[in-house]
Parts: sequence; C-alpha cells; structure tokens
Amino acid sequence: MLQRMLIEKIENRILVGILMFLGIMVLTGWVAINEPGRMAAFEQQHLARSIQWGAELYAANCSTCHGNEGYGILGRAPALNSPQLFGHDFFASLNRQAERLNDTKNELARLQAELDSGSITRERQAEIQARIAALQATYGDDIVAGIDTRLAEIEQERQSLRMQMQPAIDKGYDPDNPDRLATLGWQGTLDAFLQTTLVHGRPTSESYWPQAMVAWSQRAGGPLRDDQIENLSNYIMNWNRTEWTIEDLLLVQQFPIRPGLPGAEMAQIEGVGTNVEAIMAQLEGVTGDPLNGQTIYNNPPLACVGCHAIEAVAPLTANQWNDTVNVRLNEPQFAGYTPEMYIVESIVNPGAYLVPGYSNAMPADFGQRIDIQMLADIIAYIKSYE
Amino acid sequence: MSVLPFPSFLDDIKEKGLKKALFEGANEVTERLTAGMNIQDIREALRGENPSRRPNPRLTPHADGFWLHMRPSYFHRDMTGLYPTFRLGWLSTYFVFFETITGIILMLWYTPSPDIAYGNMLNILSNVPLGQFVRDLHRLGAEAMVLIVFLHMLRTFYTGSYKKPRQFTWFTGVILLILTGLLSFTGYLLPWDQLALWAVTIGASMAEATPLVGEQVNLLVRGGPELGANGLLRFYLAHVLLLPAFLFIFTGVHYYKVIVHGHSLPPRSENPGEDTAKRVPLDKRVYFIPEVMTNEIMWAAVTTFILVVLCVWFYHAPLESHADPQVTPLGTTAPWYFLWIQGALKLGDKTFWGIIFPTALLGFLAVMPYLDVTVSRRFAHRRFAFSVSFVMLALLVVTSYMGLPEFGVATSPDTEILHEMTFEPAHNHMGVLRPVPFDQVVVGNYTTREFEAEAGNAQAAVAAFNEELQTTGQAQQLTNLLREQHLAVPALRFTTVPADAPELRHAMETFARKIQAENQELVNGWGVLIVTQNQENLRRLDLVISWDEVLVENGEVVRDENGNPVFVLDENGNRVRRMTPAHFFLHRNAGYYE
Repeated sequence: MLQRMLIEKIENRILVGILMFLGIMVLTGWVAINEPGRMAAFEQQHLARSIQWGAELYAANCSTCHGNEGYGILGRAPALNSPQLFGHDFFASLNRQAERLNDTKNELARLQAELDSGSITRERQAEIQARIAALQATYGDDIVAGIDTRLAEIEQERQSLRMQMQPAIDKGYDPDNPDRLATLGWQGTLDAFLQTTLVHGRPTSESYWPQAMVAWSQRAGGPLRDDQIENLSNYIMNWNRTEWTIEDLLLVQQFPIRPGLPGAEMAQIEGVGTNVEAIMAQLEGVTGDPLNGQTIYNNPPLACVGCHAIEAVAPLTANQWNDTVNVRLNEPQFAGYTPEMYIVESIVNPGAYLVPGYSNAMPADFGQRIDIQMLADIIAYIKSYE
Repeated sequence: MSVLPFPSFLDDIKEKGLKKALFEGANEVTERLTAGMNIQDIREALRGENPSRRPNPRLTPHADGFWLHMRPSYFHRDMTGLYPTFRLGWLSTYFVFFETITGIILMLWYTPSPDIAYGNMLNILSNVPLGQFVRDLHRLGAEAMVLIVFLHMLRTFYTGSYKKPRQFTWFTGVILLILTGLLSFTGYLLPWDQLALWAVTIGASMAEATPLVGEQVNLLVRGGPELGANGLLRFYLAHVLLLPAFLFIFTGVHYYKVIVHGHSLPPRSENPGEDTAKRVPLDKRVYFIPEVMTNEIMWAAVTTFILVVLCVWFYHAPLESHADPQVTPLGTTAPWYFLWIQGALKLGDKTFWGIIFPTALLGFLAVMPYLDVTVSRRFAHRRFAFSVSFVMLALLVVTSYMGLPEFGVATSPDTEILHEMTFEPAHNHMGVLRPVPFDQVVVGNYTTREFEAEAGNAQAAVAAFNEELQTTGQAQQLTNLLREQHLAVPALRFTTVPADAPELRHAMETFARKIQAENQELVNGWGVLIVTQNQENLRRLDLVISWDEVLVENGEVVRDENGNPVFVLDENGNRVRRMTPAHFFLHRNAGYYE
C-alpha cells in the first residue's frame, strides 16, 4: 500500500490540489483582511516595549541629573516631566475666554456705529437690535460694563492661578511663555527636539549648568545606538498627559535656564546696559587688564573667539583695533567717536553698524551679560593688538 | 490571395472562419508552449485516458522541452508511493523553491546594515501587509528544510541507496546538507536581534578554534573581531548569493545523478548487488505526464497549505530586542541544528570538539559510500551499519541535549531565579512575572515569606518579616541597594498580595518555591517584589533575593563535619547577608499576557 500513490485516482488528486489551493487563497485572504488590525496592535505593543526599554536606559543614564521621576534636580539639570516641555499653557482657556469677550466688545462697537450711521435698511436695523437685545440678555443692560466685569473676573482668576504657580515662578517658570519649544524657536516636533538633544547633547550648557549634557548617540561619539535614543525619547514622551495640573507644575524641581534670564548664572552680573555714553562715563574710572580680557574673550560663557576666529563669520580679533582706528572711524557717521567708544557700541549694540560683508549674527544681550570691569578688560585685550 | 500584403492569421480566418481559426491558433500555441502536447492531448492526460495519437505526445515535453528535460518520462511504480522515499527528496527541492520565493519577497524590505536591519524587521511587522506572514513562512520553511534534508539523508542511509553506483549522488547530498545548514545559519543573523546576534556569535566563535588559521578564519567570517556591519553584510551576501548559487548548482548535479542512475528501488525488490533501477518493466511504468506531475502539483499545494495553516495559527518567527554586543543574554544557544556541536564543546577542548570532531564526522559521512563497499542493501545484512547509525543518532540527541543552557552551565541560583522571573520573551518563553496582567501588578511591596507561612498565617508572616527587616538592619541594606538601582523608596512596609490579583499571587508563589528549592545555597533566603508607579501607564518591578552567604566550591555547598553548611563571616564574625537585585518595567500595552 505504501508503495502506491497516496491518492490513486488522478481526478481525486486534481480535486485535492484545487481544494488545497483554494484553502491557501482563503487563508491568505483571511490574513490580509486582518492585517491592518494586527499591524496596529503590533505598533502599540512595540511602542509599549520601547517605552519599557527607554525607562531602563533613563534610570541608568539620565536619572542622576534629571531625577528619577523626571522633575529635574535643582542646580543640576532641568525637568522633563514638566508641562513646560510639553508646551501646556495654564492660561490657555482663560485667554480664549478673554479673547472671545473682547471680540464681542468690538462687535458691539461695530454694530453701534452701524446703527448710528443711520444709512441702513429697516431689516438690518431690526437684525442689529435683536443681536443687541441678545447680548443684553447675557451681559445685562450695560453690555460693556457686563463684559468688563467678566474680564475682571478672568483677570482675577488668572491672578489666582498665578498665585498658585508662584513657587514655580520663583524657580524660573514663566506662565506667559509656557512652551519651551516656542521659547527656543524650535520649529520641529517635540520628539525630534528630544532626539536631537539626546544625539548631540548640549555642549554649550556648561556655561549655566555645572555639567554640560554630553552627546549620547554613537553617531556623536556617545554610548547609545539610534534605537536606544528612540526608546529614550519614547519614554520621555510618555510623560505627556492630556490634563496637566498645577500640582504637576509644582513638582518640578528645576526649570530650564536661558542665558540672561533669571536663574542663569549670568544674571548675578550687574550688566553695563546699552547706553554707550553712560558706559563711556563709567569706563573713565576703570582700568582694563588685557590678560584678564583675553581669558574672558576666549572662554565660555562669552567665548567671543568662537566666532571672531573665523573670518567668514565675524571680523578677526587681531584686526579689530587697527580696522577701527584706520577704517571705521574715517566714516562720517563715526565723527567724534573714540576707538573705545566704537568697540563699546559694537559690543552692547551690535546691530547699530555692520561691517560691510557681515550679517547681524552677534547676540544683542552682552549689555546684560558683562559688567564694567569685564568690558574694560575686553577692550584692553582688543587694544593689545595695536 | 492574402488579406494583407503578407500571409497572416487573417487569411486563416477568411479561409476557415473565426471560430475554427482561433481554436487552431490556440491549439498550435499550446503545442509549442508544451513542446509537443496540444489541447486534446492535455485533456486526455488529465482525464487519465490513454494518448489517442502516436508517437506518444506525452513524451515530447521531456525530449524537446527545457522544463522537463531533466525529469524522467516515467518512474518505477514502486517509487511513486510514500515508501521508500517518503517524498523527502522532493520535499527538499520544494523547500529550495519555497525559500527562494519567500526570500526574494523579504529582500524587498531588508537592508543589511546594523543601523537599519532591526528597524526593517519592525517595519515588516508593523507596516507591510502580509509582512509577518511571509517572514513566518520563510523562517518556518528554513527550519523545516534543515529537518527534511537531514531525514532525507537518514532515509537514503537506511535503504542503502548510497551504495554503488550512487556514491557520488550521496557525496553531493552531504554537500547539500551542509549548504542547507549554512543557509539557515546565515539567515539567523539577518534580523539583527539579540537571538540572532548571540546564536551566530556562538556559532561563529567555533571557527575561531580552527587550528593554525582560526583567527584569520574568524576575521574572514565576521569581517572584524566582532560581528558588526561587515559581518552582517557578509552573512547577508552569503545567504542571498553565494550559498544559493552553490545550492542550485549542487541540487542540479544531485538530481542529474539521481536520474542517470535511476531512483534506487526498495531493497527487497532486487537481489543483493543488483541494480535494476534503470530497467523498468513496461507494466511497472508510471508516466510523469500525467500521473507523477499531478501528484507533485497536489503535494506542492498540500505542503504549502500545511505551512500556511501553521503560520496562521501556530508559528511566528521570533524577534527579540535589538542586538546589543554589550549585553550577553543568559541562556544563549546556537540554532537547534547546531546544538550538538555546542554540546560537544562542553566535553572539553575547543579545537577538537568544535572543529576536528564535526569536520571528521561530516567528512566521514561524505566519503562513507566509498568506504562501505558491502553490496547488499537488505536490512538484515546491514546489522553493523544500522547499529553504528543508531549509536550516532543517540549521540546526536545526547550532545544536542548537552548543548542546552540547562546542561553544565553553572549560574548562581540567585541570578538564575531572578532571570527566570523577569527575562524578556526569548525562544517562545518569558519571565514568570511578565505575563501577569497590568491591572494585577498592584503597586506595593510583597515578600515570599507570605507563601512560606501556613494557611491563614500570611498576615502574621508579613508582619514578622517587616519586624525582622527593622531589627536586623536589612531594611537599610535593602533601601541602599534599591537606591543604587536608581529607585528611591521612602519606607518599605510589606503587605500581603491583594486578593484580587490572583496571577500576581501565583507568580509570587512560584518565586517563593524557586527560592525554597535552592535552600541549600540560599540559606534563610527570602525574596521581595517592589512594584512602583513610574509613569501613568508604566510600572517598575524590583525583585531582590536575600540570603546568608555560605561557602560554595565548584557549585557545591561546603559542609563541616556535622553536615552543616559553612557560613561566610565578616570581620566581626557575623554572617554575611547577601542581596541580589533585578528589575524591569511593565507597560500597560506591552501585551505579554495575550
């Protein structure tokens, strides 16, 4: 028996073959129909596991600076589990309400003007009066006063919210600029922002944090693979929630620091301001130390040399003094300027005059970031190239 | 007179009418495509009738056509059934084509780079319709093919079909067996997950033991001291180009030799020393068209159907976490068909057991027909050969078992238990705690002491445990340990497992049982589970095993003359309390428990 074909009759073989073929088609079709659901389920499951792996990486690598629960560590690194990072605006609903009320106020003024002009049809007049009556029903007979009362209430609510947020505000939170990415001028998504920061680190943050964030990606010389960076960012993104509360905000230990804003180390410096005449008067009584100036010039946080060592980006340090004396001061607009005065203006108000061939790329906040002694030292250093 | 200025099909229509001209045209095309069979011939063949014209048109496709030129036009009736071939050679060939087709589909979605490969896998699983299905089919086909080819060799041995004049056929068969193993092995690496990386690392490290040139061979295979971008590219090219090329060539040679010598008949059909395969009596002939061909097409459909059913309901190709050369998973194994080498390696010298032994074995297999010159293929005449083969098979099973991580790999019991409780899905298993439903993983602190107590005394046992931690100072030790693991816990108060978390309870019972089972080494041992909320939908599970350390030598507890274990003591003469931690995170949607 075993030495014969299992199915002896040819028509039965053909039948079995056709049935099997149909079976394959039906099953494959069945799988295909269920694919969208299966793929979505896999994606959800994989995201969950990615978050798990990210949590592992976070605990091992990030928690020592950003805190176990992502609230940041005072004076060490900013919070990630924070409404600010996810751009939550606690005033959003109040702002919307106030905006709507002001719109109504404007509408009322428009309608009133239209009525007063007298050149409208009877129908239109009736329409406007009906609208005004409706508004009176909502806001009382004096509509404007009613709206103003509401606006005052909203303002009060805003103040009360601000009071609740006060501990966070004291730590550097700005409820009027609640979105970290908007503050930074970041155009991309938060996910992309996190990944970029993880990949490259924040080498410059060493000017306001005791320890700069290092580059974590292998691409930038760090220890983590791309998929691990993604896991980490998925984990951080998982802190997002639909409803952020003030309690969440108050748990934040440390907010991000922006150079020149309260909280940054630089703020302890008494800035020279941007009034060139006043600065020149102050400079009278100060002697600059070129060596000290060299240190300030070449090191963070100012690190002027970063740009002024590349001629394509900014005028070279070594030429600044002689160029000022021999070229710039010959320009008619600088009549009566001393070289020092030109340099001071260039530092505290860099947009006032642009050396031909350069764009206005220099930060405008040095007036807040250096004091009079530092300025004198820097001038002395530039002058040393005479 | 032609309709067009040259003779054309239109003339036929004019002359014979549309219907007849069309039919005759179709008939002619069919006859050309089949190299000799017209529509009527095919119809007769499929109806099982005898050919109505002579010479027999069913023989011309073999004589004149390309596709059937290597297939014999008729078979011996004794060779068309299940016995003696079990259709294993045919099945092997089926898998060659099956793997080629599914493999080419997968190639569309794959880039051989460590940066991308794993992402490609995720893409195949999450974004390519039927992607998982085709991957499952390819993987299942690969595993099946290794098995089928091996069984084919066994069958050939037992029916004595390797004997003269088929020695060379056997030789090419052994080469095909090796190629199949290598193909499956090189494919193992491509997903670039932990399973792939470590199975292949183990396999490839055997090459290192090659005498004299081991280091060079290793560099050549891996493309560097460690498996990386170069190694992956090499494995990929070997998998899709080099090995398939050899496989197709040797499949051709192998089958050509089968035809040249004829399929060897069942041993009892011939006298010892006779080879009558090429002389098939007229009444024993089964023609390829239509009998064998329909049979083969049917079997192709049946086999594919079985594979499809398996992949729809029973089998999914594994995918573990991303390959990480820094993290060696506990319990790493080579692919199952290489387990026998991994087992043999545990016997001693790496060079001998890893290289010389398998090479000698395969070498002996390859030349065996030239050494075994006995003529009889009858089972009764081959008692010695059969006995040797049974011993070899037994050896294969035993060494394969020895290749499993359970055998002869000494891991300390605490590490082993923690691994068993927590490990990520691997080899279709996962840690005991992972499949506990998220809602049952209730935030809190639990201890195995609860499950060592008599029924009804659980509360008291946990309270006693809390007390014990405080008085012995172990609470502080535990808190410090957890802090080192980046977990801040204010105060550890242990409670009983909630009644509405039966699966968590079950897992904790298993935890307690495992610690209890190792009480020779884990003296006064307890285990704790600390569940904390990490994010809204994410919990962290920390496990700690603690015990009084005893002296252990070569995996055995050292005992004094009274048979009591010898404790390790600190400088003050107190017993040393050891604690080993492990933790993992559990997300609500991780889906381990489905």
